Amino acid sequence: MKRFRSVVILLFAFALIVAACSDDEGDSGEATTTTAGESTETTAAASLEGTAVTVFGPESSDNEAGAMQDALNIFAEANGMTITYTGARDFSDQINAQAAGGNPPDIAVFPQPGKVIDFGTQGFILPIPAELVDFSRPQWPGGTLETVSALDEVWALPNKTDLKSVVWYNSQIFADGGYTVPTTLDDLWALSTQMIADGVTPWCVGIESGPATGWAFTDWMEDVTLRLQGPDFYDQWVANEVTFDDERVQEIGQTIIDIWNTPGNTFAAGGTIAATPFGDNGEPLANGDCAMHRQASFFAAFFPEGTTVGPGQQIDTFYFPSADDTRPVLTAGTYVSAFRDAPEVWAVMQYLTSAEYSTERQRAQAARVGGGANSGYLSANLQQDLSVYNDLEKFFVETLQNADPARFDASDLMPAAVGAGSFWTEGTSAVNGDKTVADAFAAIQASWPSS
Amino acid sequence: MDGLFDNRLVITIVGVVAALGISAIVFVGANRLFDLAPRKWSIFSALIGGGSALAFFGLLWGNRLINQPVTTTIVATIIGAAAGYALSLTSDPRLHLGIGALAGAVLGGLIGATLKTSTRPEFDPVALVVGVVVGLAIGFGIWAVRGRTASVTRVALFWGALGWVFGAFLVPDLGGGDQAWAVIAATIGGALFGAWVGTFPNPDANARREIALGSRKYIFLTPALAFIAMTLIIPLIRTGFLSLQSGPPVDLSFTGLTNYADIFTDPTILNLENWTNMFTSQLFWAGVVVLIIGIVVARISGQRTGEGFGINGGSLSALAFGVILLGFAFFAVMRGTISNNLWWIFAVTLFSTGAGLAVAVLADRSRGETIAKSFIFMPMAISFVGAGIIWRFMYIARPETKEQTGVLNSIWVQIGKWSASNTASIIIALILAVIVAGILYIGWTGRQARRSSVVAGAIVAALPLIWLIYRFLGPGIGGVEIVDGVAVASPIFFLTESPFNNFWMMVVFIWIQTGFAMVIFSAAIKGVPADLTEAAGIDGASESQVFWRITVPSIAPTIGVVTTTLIVTVLKVFDIPKVMTNGNFDTQVLANEMWQRAFTELDFGLGSALAFILFLGVLPVMWINIRRMQRQREAVR
Repeated sequence: MKRFRSVVILLFAFALIVAACSDDEGDSGEATTTTAGESTETTAAASLEGTAVTVFGPESSDNEAGAMQDALNIFAEANGMTITYTGARDFSDQINAQAAGGNPPDIAVFPQPGKVIDFGTQGFILPIPAELVDFSRPQWPGGTLETVSALDEVWALPNKTDLKSVVWYNSQIFADGGYTVPTTLDDLWALSTQMIADGVTPWCVGIESGPATGWAFTDWMEDVTLRLQGPDFYDQWVANEVTFDDERVQEIGQTIIDIWNTPGNTFAAGGTIAATPFGDNGEPLANGDCAMHRQASFFAAFFPEGTTVGPGQQIDTFYFPSADDTRPVLTAGTYVSAFRDAPEVWAVMQYLTSAEYSTERQRAQAARVGGGANSGYLSANLQQDLSVYNDLEKFFVETLQNADPARFDASDLMPAAVGAGSFWTEGTSAVNGDKTVADAFAAIQASWPSS
Repeated sequence: MDGLFDNRLVITIVGVVAALGISAIVFVGANRLFDLAPRKWSIFSALIGGGSALAFFGLLWGNRLINQPVTTTIVATIIGAAAGYALSLTSDPRLHLGIGALAGAVLGGLIGATLKTSTRPEFDPVALVVGVVVGLAIGFGIWAVRGRTASVTRVALFWGALGWVFGAFLVPDLGGGDQAWAVIAATIGGALFGAWVGTFPNPDANARREIALGSRKYIFLTPALAFIAMTLIIPLIRTGFLSLQSGPPVDLSFTGLTNYADIFTDPTILNLENWTNMFTSQLFWAGVVVLIIGIVVARISGQRTGEGFGINGGSLSALAFGVILLGFAFFAVMRGTISNNLWWIFAVTLFSTGAGLAVAVLADRSRGETIAKSFIFMPMAISFVGAGIIWRFMYIARPETKEQTGVLNSIWVQIGKWSASNTASIIIALILAVIVAGILYIGWTGRQARRSSVVAGAIVAALPLIWLIYRFLGPGIGGVEIVDGVAVASPIFFLTESPFNNFWMMVVFIWIQTGFAMVIFSAAIKGVPADLTEAAGIDGASESQVFWRITVPSIAPTIGVVTTTLIVTVLKVFDIPKVMTNGNFDTQVLANEMWQRAFTELDFGLGSALAFILFLGVLPVMWINIRRMQRQREAVR
C-alpha cells in the first residue's frame, strides 16, 4: 500500500512538472491558429476583455521594470486585460533560447535593432501591420523606424530612447579646479590633460557588464567615430563597408585606449577597467575619485542615494562635445516586436509606442524614484507631455531633438555575432591589454558573418 | 488571471492521466495482441497490418508532412488492416506477393497524393540510380557475409526499396517537385516494400507460437528504449546532424565538416604557436629540477629497500609536484579554449584527487574526523554559480588608493605593508624563525628515532618558511610596490590577468570537488581490511609504507572512479567561467563557447559541433569507466 501511494505521488509530481513545462506550448498552438486578417480589424476595447499578454525585456531593476509594469497596468486596467512584464539582465541570451526553443513571449523589448532585423529575417517575429507603422511614424523623429526595417517590412516599433552622448561630471571638482565645461572635443582632451597635471583623476571608466562586458567600450568607439570621421563613415562602418581592420577604425580604438591608459587618467573601481562593472562608476564620481564619466542618459539611476543630479547639482552633465560645429548625437533605445499574432498583442504594441505610454512610464518611473530626481527613463516621442520631465531630462530631450545628426548605437545595429559578440569580447581584450588593437580588431572583422 | 492556471493544470493533469492510460492500454493491448498470434492468425495479421499503417502515417502526420492527415491516416489504417487480413487467407506465394505489392502501392500512392507541397521531392535520376545500386550492393554484401542463406528476392526487394526511397526522397531537394512524381515515387517505393512483406509466407502453428513468445521481450523493452531514444539518442543524432550544417537557424544548409574545420583553425579556440615559450618560463625549469630530485630520491630509497625505484611519500610527492609544475608551464603558454579545458582537467583532477586522498588518509580514525570532513564536504552543497559569485568577492581588486575589499587582496596587501615596514618585517621574521626552529627540532628528534619520513617532512615544511624569512628581510613580499620611496598597494587582478586567472577559477572547482573525492576515498579506506594493515604493522612497516603498499593498491579502483568522474565533470565546466569572467581575458572553455556560439550568436551549427566535440571528449572516459565496471563484475563471477 505504501508503495502504491508513493507511485501516485510520483505520478502527481510528474503531472505538475509537465504542467509547468507545457503551458507555453498551449499558447503558441493557439497563436498559430489566429490569422493575420482578424487581428488588425479588432482594436475595440471590449474585445480585449479577459485576454493576457506577456512582455519580456532587458530592463530589470525595480525602478525600470516596476515603472514599465505600472504603465502597462494602466492600459490593462482600462481594457480589462492582463499584461505581465518580465525583465532579465541577460535578455539577449534568454530571448535567443526562448525563440529557438519555441516558447517566446508575446512581445519582446529589444535593445538592439540589429537583433530585431536578425529575428525578422529569420522569421521569429511578425512584421508590423501597416496601420501600426502609420500610427508610430509621425510620433517619432525621422529615421527611427528605418533602423528596424528590412525586406520591405518594419519589424519593430520604438518604445524608449537613451541619449548616449552625455558626460556626467562632479561639479564640486569643476568648481574647485576652476574648470569650465568643454565645448569641443579638443577642449575635452585638453581638460583631461590639465586635470592630470593638477593631480585630479579625470575619468571613471569601467566596462564590465556580465555576459555583455565590453559594451561601454563600444559606446566610446561609436561616439568618437561619429565625431572624428562623421556620420557617412559611421554608416559605412555599421554596414562593414569600412572594415574593422581599416586603419582609421583601429586608430580610433587606439586613441581611446591610449587616453584611458595615460597614467593618472583613469579611476577604475574594480582595479582594472575591464574588471569594473559599468554601474560601479557612479559612486566614485559622486565621491570625487574622478571628475567625469561618459555614459548614457539612463546613468542617473546609478548614483548613490542622496546624490543630487541635475543642472547646478552635485552631479551635472554636459553634451559629449563635437570636433566641429555639427552636433552629432549617439542614441540607443528599445524597440518592441511581436511574436504572437493576436488583437490583444497588437493593441499592447500600439500602446507601447504611443505618446501616452511615454508619459505614463515617465510619470510612474519618476514617482518611484521620488523627489523630482532623474527617473532614468527617456523617450524621443514627439507628442509626449514634456511636463513630466525634470530640468535635466528636458536637457536630454532637447539634445535629442537638436541632434545633427543622430545615429543609433552601432554595435546594436551590427549582426549579433559582432555587435553582441566579438566587438564586446575582443574590445575587452584590447582594453585589458591581452591583445593589440590591431589583433583584436582583425579578429572582430574575421567574425563578421560572411553572408 | 484566475481560473487560467487552474484550467491549465486540470487540462494537463487530465492529459497526463490520459497519456498514461493510453500507454497502459497500448502496453496491455500489445501483450493481448501477440496472445492472438497462435490462435487467430487472421485477426492478428489484420491488426498488425492496420497498426503498422497507423504508426507510419501517424509519424507523417506528427511531422506535418501530409495534407488532410485525419482522413488519410484512417484510410491507410483500413487498407493496412485489409491487406493484413488478405495476406493471412492465402498461402499461395504468388498471390501473397501480389497482395503485398498492391497494398504497398496503394499506401505509397496515398502518401504521394497527400504529401505537402513543401516536402515534395524533385526528380533526380542520378540519385535514384545511385540510391538503388548502393542499396542493393549493401544488401547483397550483407547477404554474402551472412552465408547467402536468405532468399535473393527478399534481399533485392528490401534493399532495393530502401535505396529507392533514399534516392527519391532523402537525397534530392524537397519542396520543388510536382505531385505526379511524388505519387510515382511513393507508389513504387511502397510497392517494393509491400512485395517484400508479401514474400513472407504465413507461419505454421509452431512459428506462430514462437512469434507470440518472442515478442514479449520487445514489448517489455519498448518503453525503456523509447525513453532512452527520446531523451538521449535522438537529441544526440540531431546534434550531430546540426553540427554538419551552417547558417541562420531557420535556413540551415548542409556544409559537411566545415564547422569542425572552423573550430580547429580558429586561433581563439586552439592556438599552439607559443608552445616554445614554455622553455623560457621559470615554472618549466622549476618543474624539471623538482622532477630530477624526485627521481634521485626514488633511486636512493629504492636502493635501500632493494628495489629499482622507491615508491614513498618523498619521491612520489616530488614527482607529482614536478609534473604539476611542468603541466602549468605548458598550459600557461598555450592559449585557446581547448587548451584551457585541458588545463582545467589536468589541474582540477590532480588537485581534487590529491587533496581529497590526503584529507581522507590524514583524518582517518583521528579525533574530530567527522567535523573536519563535514567542513571540507560542505562546499559540495553550494552550486557552481553560487561558488563562482562567492569567489568573485574573494578575488575583488580595488584601485591602489582604496581599501582592498577582497579577502585575498587585503591579506596580500597587508603582507606587503608589513614587508615594506622595517619593524614589522623583522618581528615577523623572528616569529617565523621560532617556528622554523621548532620544526627543525621535531626533525632532529625524528632523526634520532631513525624515522626518515619525519626528517623529510620537517625539511619540506621548513624550506618555504625560510624562503618567507628571506623575502621579508630581503627583497620583500606581498602586494606593495615602492614608488618614489612610498609603499603603494599593488593588488593581484585574479580574474583579469591571463593566464593564471584560469587557475584562480579552477581553485573554486577544486574547493567544491575536494569534498566529493574525500568522501569516496574515506569510504574506500575504511573498507581496506584491518587485518592487512595490522599484519603489516606487526611486520614492522611504517605508517608511510602501510599507506603506499597496502592502502593505495587496495583503493586503486576507487582512485580510478574518482578520477574519471572528475574528468567528465570538469570537461563540462560551464557555470564558473560563465559567472566569473564569461570567457573574457583568455578564460573561455568549451561549454561556454558552445553556449555563446549557439545562443548568443545563433550559430547552431558551430554550437552543435562544439557540443559534439565535448561529447567525443567524454566518450573515452565513459568507456574506460564502463569497461572497468564490467571487468569487476566478471571478477565477482
